[in-house]
Amino acid sequence: MDKKKIILLALLVLCVAALAMLPLVIEKDSTLNLIILVLLYMTLASSWNILGGYTGQTNLGHAAFFGIGSLTARLLWINGMPFFLSFLAGGLVAALLALLIGTPAFKLRGVYFAIGTLALAQILNLTVSNLFPEMSYNPALADYELVPRYYLFLGLAVLTIGCASLLVNSRWGLGMMAVREGEDAAESLGISALRHKLLALGISAFFAGLVGGAFAYYHVSYYLNMPFSPEWTFDPMMMAYIGGQGTIVGPVIGSVFFVLLKQLLVWNVGEYHLIIFGTLFILIVLFLPGGLIEGWKKIQNLVHHRKTSSGTGGFSKKFGSWLHWPQPKKG
Amino acid sequence: MKFRTLIITALLLMSIILTSCKAATETPVATEPPAEEEVVATEPPVEEEVVPTEPPVEEEVIPTEAVIYPPAPEYIEIGASIPLTGRFGSLGSQVKVGYDYAIADINAAGGVYVAEYGTSIPLRLTAYDDESDPTKAVSNLENVFSEQEVVAYLGGAASGMHAATTAIAEKNQVPYLGVSFAWWNIHQRGYEYLFSPFPKSPDQARDIFLALNEMIPAEQRPINIAVFQEMTDWGNELGGLFRADAAPAGYTVVYYAEYAPGTTDFSTLILEAQAAGANMLLGMPTTPDGIAIVKQMAELGWTPQFTMLVRAPDAATWAEATGTAGDLVTMFAGWHYGENFPGVAELNAKHQAEFGRPSDILVGPAYACVQILADAIERAGTLDRDAIRDAIGDTDMMTVIGQVSFNADGTGNVLNPLVQWQNGEMQLVWPLDQKTADFIFPAPPFGDR
Repeated sequence: MDKKKIILLALLVLCVAALAMLPLVIEKDSTLNLIILVLLYMTLASSWNILGGYTGQTNLGHAAFFGIGSLTARLLWINGMPFFLSFLAGGLVAALLALLIGTPAFKLRGVYFAIGTLALAQILNLTVSNLFPEMSYNPALADYELVPRYYLFLGLAVLTIGCASLLVNSRWGLGMMAVREGEDAAESLGISALRHKLLALGISAFFAGLVGGAFAYYHVSYYLNMPFSPEWTFDPMMMAYIGGQGTIVGPVIGSVFFVLLKQLLVWNVGEYHLIIFGTLFILIVLFLPGGLIEGWKKIQNLVHHRKTSSGTGGFSKKFGSWLHWPQPKKG
Repeated sequence: MKFRTLIITALLLMSIILTSCKAATETPVATEPPAEEEVVATEPPVEEEVVPTEPPVEEEVIPTEAVIYPPAPEYIEIGASIPLTGRFGSLGSQVKVGYDYAIADINAAGGVYVAEYGTSIPLRLTAYDDESDPTKAVSNLENVFSEQEVVAYLGGAASGMHAATTAIAEKNQVPYLGVSFAWWNIHQRGYEYLFSPFPKSPDQARDIFLALNEMIPAEQRPINIAVFQEMTDWGNELGGLFRADAAPAGYTVVYYAEYAPGTTDFSTLILEAQAAGANMLLGMPTTPDGIAIVKQMAELGWTPQFTMLVRAPDAATWAEATGTAGDLVTMFAGWHYGENFPGVAELNAKHQAEFGRPSDILVGPAYACVQILADAIERAGTLDRDAIRDAIGDTDMMTVIGQVSFNADGTGNVLNPLVQWQNGEMQLVWPLDQKTADFIFPAPPFGDR
């Protein structure tokens, strides 16, 4: 590992440490709330990215896994199970659901897979709204504290991004990317497309389920079908696209950009915020189809070209695996 | 690679250590169904009982010895999260107009007198759009609590939104005034800061039979009821109350069916209700579901003599969307621009000038929330939240929605007007002393309209 990678990792550790220290210096719940939303979407977008970005399977039913994790954790928790066990159960149930529906779902390809997953989320949304029409209240509102929730979301975001990074840099990750680039070609090279897609779906759903469980712990009162609603699919997906899907930092940047910018617009321009945000989103898609990461890479390339002429390597060459798709190692 | 793995593992360990999760300390208590005995009857407003609030007179407040007041804040800060976009956007927009009009009127009159500071202070509302998303609504309320240090919250619209935001009000111990929700159950959770000057399910179930018995001679009453109950918590609450209140009032529920929100085919329910001999339909559908119900009733040729769909016809586009099928349908609107209380004419004039029509049905109740809050602050004489909460609880005042007082659970004792769509216009038909048009009964068959 070269010196610059060590510096980058040290910076990441410092960032996480700074975030961990935040509740000690910030007393306002509003700031913690905002960061919680950023961390929630960061985790959800990163989990979507494992299947959507790295394996090339556009999953429009991510809300199903978020929702089932939330439902499982909330029901177990309010019925007396310790929260941490309920939380883990949420992730496991989501992964189990993913594996159950994965095999038939992956018989569909492209847009049909996307429609199939969207249908799954909608079916679960309607089923849960019919089975559990009552509002779910936080059973211990008087003891509600934001700080433990904040650390839960922070830990989960770090865990998800860390695992995603490890996965995509592993042999399995390379197989997933090979499937994304060409399923038939990958099969011809002996890579089982179904096995790799199932693995990606299972891991993606597991983290979505975990963050659903964290949501169940965080939210004071809500209808249990609410986490199954389509925005829990489309918002994280937009974040991954805005930041740059198929990269580790893309969903991170996208979620920070999406949540903070949207909130700033809500606070400052009132009901016009959706028009302005929508316009910005269209501009990004038009001019930076690879997301904000692409903009960054364009700048880096510009710097790289100038430095190459003076004999210095570029940034993206040093930190390639964090900014774009890792390349298979030769030999 | 090994180094990176090491770093990531360290991060994971740290995150696990930092994650301190608590178990639930208490099991949620099952909610008891609303009992008739607990419902406090809404008294019609009696003009003679109204004690007009005198504007504060400086000379009466300042004692003979010179008193040095603390410096007054520039504004009395109020916060709100309102669904201005998304599925509840049409409701939230009405609510926002009501708040804005009331604050403008109160500030134009000099603001609210606060004895603690010996002066009048203008109100300032910081309201953010939550896109009809409860998670964003929670974030918005936390933000106005931290940044503006609000003394009170004003609610948004719709039960699901209120359920999320009232919990935040309770957590932050900030008085909360909200309208546009008839859900009674939320008031039974022991919340101490929640107040709602808006008719609730028990009022609606009781008043529908009161109104019919008052307006229709005994021998002509449609006594066989069909209830189409939406499978939601509020639908369950109101449907159960219809069933419980029918028999004591002389009615019989001959058909009772549940359906999921978003149902598009109601033909089975309609045909079964017809077969059961029902001549009155009670329901609480959303607007799309309500439109589907009346259109399919017309197609299948079942015309109940009386139809009340509590929520669906509140959309301004009801008449346009349903045509003659939606005519003569009734609902409890919460308020109507035709009510003859002080301030309603001025409110309508202002709304007419800005939007080209009299006030929408949620404008009045929202306006009243600000009237109640201003009155409570003035009576409390301080900006202390608990004192304001107590003063709101003691409210007994005339507003644009009539006389308002509160029960111990925060539900309001307010007028509950019944409106009926007549030739594309929403007319107030009950209480009779407030009516803008005569009640039309029985509804003629769809084919004869």
